[in-house]
Amino acid sequence: MIKIHAIATALVFALAGAAFAQESVATLRAGTPLAEQGELPQIAKRLNTDLRQVRNYPEQPPLIPHKIDGYQIDINVNKCLQCHSRAAVGDSQAPMVSITHFMNRDNQFLASVTPRRYFCTQCHVPRSDAPDLVENTFVDVDQVLEYMAGAKSGDN
Amino acid sequence: MTKLTRRDVIKAQAVAAAAAAAGLPLSAEAQNLVTDASLTDLKWSKAPCRFCGTGCSIMVATKAGRVVATHGDAESEVNRGLNCVKGYFLSKIMYGKDRLTQPLLRKTDGVYDKEGDFTPVSWDEAFDIMAKKWKATLKEKGPTGIGMFGSGQWTVWEGYAASKLMKAGFRSNNLDPNARHCMASAVGGFMRTFGIDEPMGCYDDFEHADAFFLWGSNMAEMHPILWTRIADRKFSNPHVKVGVLSTYKHRSFDLADISMIFTPQTDLVMLNYIANYIIESGSVNQDFVSKHVNFRRGNQDIGYGLRPEHPLEQAAENNDKAGGSTAMTFEEFAEFVKPYTVEYASEMSGVPENRLLEMAKMYADPDIKIMSLWTMGVNQHTRGVWVNNMLYNVHLLTGKISTPGNSPFSLTGQPSACGTAREVGTFSHRLPADLVVANPKHRAIAEKIWKLPAGTIPAKPGAHAVLQNRHLKDGKINCYWVQVNNNMQAAPNMMEETLPGYRNPDNFIVVSDAYPTVTCEAADLILPTAMWVEKEGAYGNAERRTQFWHQLVDAPGESKSDLWQLVEFSKRFKIEDVWDAELLDANPEYKGKTMYDVLYANGQVDAYPLEQTADDYENHEAKDFGFYIQKGLFEEYAEFGRGHGHDLADFDTYHEVRGLRWPVVDGKETLWRFKEGSDPYVTPGSDFEFYGKPDGKAVIFALPFEPAAESPDEEYPFWLSTGRVLEHWHSGSMTQRVPELHSAVPDALCYMHPDDAKAKGLRRGSGVRVISRRGEINLRIETRGRNKPPKGLVFVPWFDAAKLINKVTLDATDPISKQTDYKKCAVKIVPMGA
Amino acid sequence: MLGFAKRIWSAIRRPSVHYSLGFLTMGGFVMGIIFWGGFNTALEITNTEAFCTSCHEMSDNVYEELKPTIHYSNRSGVRATCPDCHVPHEWTSKVARKMQASKEVWGTIFGTINTREKFLDHRLRLAQNEWTRLEANNSLECRNCHSEESMDITRQSTRAAEAHERFLFTGEKTCINCHKGIAHELPNMGQASLTGGHSSAQALTKYLAPD
Repeated sequence: MIKIHAIATALVFALAGAAFAQESVATLRAGTPLAEQGELPQIAKRLNTDLRQVRNYPEQPPLIPHKIDGYQIDINVNKCLQCHSRAAVGDSQAPMVSITHFMNRDNQFLASVTPRRYFCTQCHVPRSDAPDLVENTFVDVDQVLEYMAGAKSGDN
Repeated sequence: MTKLTRRDVIKAQAVAAAAAAAGLPLSAEAQNLVTDASLTDLKWSKAPCRFCGTGCSIMVATKAGRVVATHGDAESEVNRGLNCVKGYFLSKIMYGKDRLTQPLLRKTDGVYDKEGDFTPVSWDEAFDIMAKKWKATLKEKGPTGIGMFGSGQWTVWEGYAASKLMKAGFRSNNLDPNARHCMASAVGGFMRTFGIDEPMGCYDDFEHADAFFLWGSNMAEMHPILWTRIADRKFSNPHVKVGVLSTYKHRSFDLADISMIFTPQTDLVMLNYIANYIIESGSVNQDFVSKHVNFRRGNQDIGYGLRPEHPLEQAAENNDKAGGSTAMTFEEFAEFVKPYTVEYASEMSGVPENRLLEMAKMYADPDIKIMSLWTMGVNQHTRGVWVNNMLYNVHLLTGKISTPGNSPFSLTGQPSACGTAREVGTFSHRLPADLVVANPKHRAIAEKIWKLPAGTIPAKPGAHAVLQNRHLKDGKINCYWVQVNNNMQAAPNMMEETLPGYRNPDNFIVVSDAYPTVTCEAADLILPTAMWVEKEGAYGNAERRTQFWHQLVDAPGESKSDLWQLVEFSKRFKIEDVWDAELLDANPEYKGKTMYDVLYANGQVDAYPLEQTADDYENHEAKDFGFYIQKGLFEEYAEFGRGHGHDLADFDTYHEVRGLRWPVVDGKETLWRFKEGSDPYVTPGSDFEFYGKPDGKAVIFALPFEPAAESPDEEYPFWLSTGRVLEHWHSGSMTQRVPELHSAVPDALCYMHPDDAKAKGLRRGSGVRVISRRGEINLRIETRGRNKPPKGLVFVPWFDAAKLINKVTLDATDPISKQTDYKKCAVKIVPMGA
Repeated sequence: MLGFAKRIWSAIRRPSVHYSLGFLTMGGFVMGIIFWGGFNTALEITNTEAFCTSCHEMSDNVYEELKPTIHYSNRSGVRATCPDCHVPHEWTSKVARKMQASKEVWGTIFGTINTREKFLDHRLRLAQNEWTRLEANNSLECRNCHSEESMDITRQSTRAAEAHERFLFTGEKTCINCHKGIAHELPNMGQASLTGGHSSAQALTKYLAPD
């Protein structure tokens, strides 16, 4: 398991980093002292690649892979459903809203999308080109399984 | 399922973390479907969401010591399977790479130095220097020289342990939660009108109301799951109407039948107009009012909670008796609100008369069940308690209260603002179950339950949030401990009133957090802290629902929970260190004990053995202290409320159910309080009884319009309102570390009307300086998007650690509740470089 | 009445006594230019955004809604003003549209939509008028700027490019079919799908029982 060794080495380095004294800790300010101001970034650009992202886990709502600037979702109309409704996907070839979205509070399927799911952007958000502020070390379950399968067969 | 040993778990965790850190690609193409159940089975457990006060229940999947997935709990009545986007990403909030893993102390050349660099130290060294500083300050200044700032994100037992530590152990009332910034005006409103805290109704009201009015609440972004219940109710039942009132247009207007953009502060006028309309149209529920309501005239000209030397305080007549009132009759009240006509209300607020009238008619109509909802627009208001009182006025005049769908409902912003800050009473003036320190009977109750000598708890309320910062700056508080919140990013007027206190050379500042926040940056000692499901916990949501969870994973490195920190720190003090000779001589049996013995190993908190902890969940605190400390603290705490209208069920029950709404009497939760038939505390035959008041009657208050502390003028021509966005929670310390949420909303922007921008030669994306009399920050202008301010107002969210809008905000508070007004101050906008 | 008309007729028929034929011809020509020019100038004044938004019905509703959209502010700074989309460029159609628009002046005077509420009540009908017009003229005003030939779909997002290839270039749909609500908020679309109905309710009556 050369891979695991490489990982372990990386981990040692990562942890060792924390052992040094630091003048500043507030990661999200990138070293800018509290009384001062850092460089002001431009307004981030919305990504419009149409490339779907791998979900972190199956229960995660998919991110929106395109711009939604000016999309009207209000008491009058839901712009998203113009492409994502059951009836529209023939024309749009967009993914249909998940069947969970037809269920009411009591888990009964309705004839159309449940109003409790009406405001799409409460769960689905678009992306931008802003770089991550901090890396996230969440581990995808497949990697956990891979590790556990290895552990089970005594392969580490 | 394979039972993993603890060693396996730690190893898996380390490797998994390293795999993620090393950024290994997923070998998706090489994999077939994994079907072995010993691998694919996930352990699912319930936990309340870590974010807002809605209190959604979450199902959390763990595998190999890691959280691998989360989703909305289908069995929960609150959210029935749904989450908002933040909730769906809970799996990732604990895994920001910069988690704190060991205590960090500012040192130069190996010794503590206020100007030194953050240097890793052991817990022992950390507690050593803390105890040294605390003892020195107690000796020099006494208990008022120390302070603690907690949070509505503390678990119930953490807040309770902190309250005991401060109020009974250190005998200092300088304990306040950040809920002061959030809910204090709501508490003030409840106590003044009903004499008992928290909403009478519950979330079931959403499925019963015919009309919803939002008064200064953007529920679509801040309480998204409750918003889904309103959307469901409205779209499913076409007769249902929604009215939204705010000082700028936001996402909640997307569901509005009646949109009302009003001039800041004129909510006071509109509410008096509705009261006036109800009276003049003959819609007062005379029977209800005569039986269940008293009328009082509130003191006026009460000031703005600024420093006493401020001209506004000098000019105010009643700032020393802001909460005072005198009795009046219904007729006098009718006379009082008479000048608040529709014409006057429209002129002051800028809302067209027809919309005001339409709203007033709905409030007056006995056949329309109305739910009024509010959050920070009402609470963060220099007259916040008044607005709360006035909202109850219109519901009480019509008797539309405490019945399904008739519900004035104060929403909360933090997961346990109700459960911990309010119910446990971690405010500087409070004790558990609505008791207050100023009342000798209340202190006696607490001392009895806590098995302490009479006179232990100090009678004088301590310093509230804003005053604590002033005291730090002025050197009156020298030792200060901040837990589970990011007050350097939240507290108003940061440059003049907050940062100077933290960096005051006389002061020693300790901050406990999971992540290195801006508050940590301003600290002298940082304590790495376990968060959310890394410990066993309990939260109480906005509808009085208490929810428990188990520890599901281990915290990284040497991180410890706030509870462990509080209790462990108490071991460092002999009771002689903290109590004066007078108290000890009168009660010699306490001599020689540690503070830990007196407060926690008191025969009650340590009454439940380790064996009672769950077999299939880890519990580090219980193991470390040798007893089921969470259960002991909870059961002792619950004694305060049982039999007094705040009854909680027994500890073990909460681990089984999806929360219960107190008072829980005979195993049954209470949905609507103060109403016979649904609330067991109401005297039979009385129909309604507001038993928080001695005569069982609620109070309608006559309160006028008074202007804001600071309004736009020629030099500072814009109103500044601050607030949140859907994708980030509060100061963003968790959500900014989730890449998907950060990518969705990466920066705080200055939302402005396009015509205002044009008039200033600005455009979308222009870099500007947002300047107040107190400070300034640079931001980019946004003229599109989800928030659409009217001309003359700008909106800036506060989640962004890199753009601290609290350098600009004003430290004016409601003089009654001491809650800051973050929604109103005056700013000018100039292009960067100008 | 008839007598009056006769007198006028005879006055016009009679040759001029005081003015020469040349003067009258030239004078008529000059006056024609002045009137025609004046008419057209006046027409063009009414054809500006400033004129359109001079009444609050327009400035508070549709114009306010236009401001955050791409037709008001965008990358290249080429923007559409009200008449670009709502007034035909071709002269006869323009005059016809202007005659229709005189009704709007009537509306302003009598306050037909002088509050937001009234405007919203009429919004669906008003929007449908425009959609019908654009559907009938194959989205002519869209195409005045967005010509199909000049569209480089390789510079569009994949999603847009595919949609244009499948529906626009084949003539199956016209711009307005998909781009309703691009410059102003949409009215309540009720149960009607944005992409148009899928089956006529009438045809179904033989299969369905009344509920």
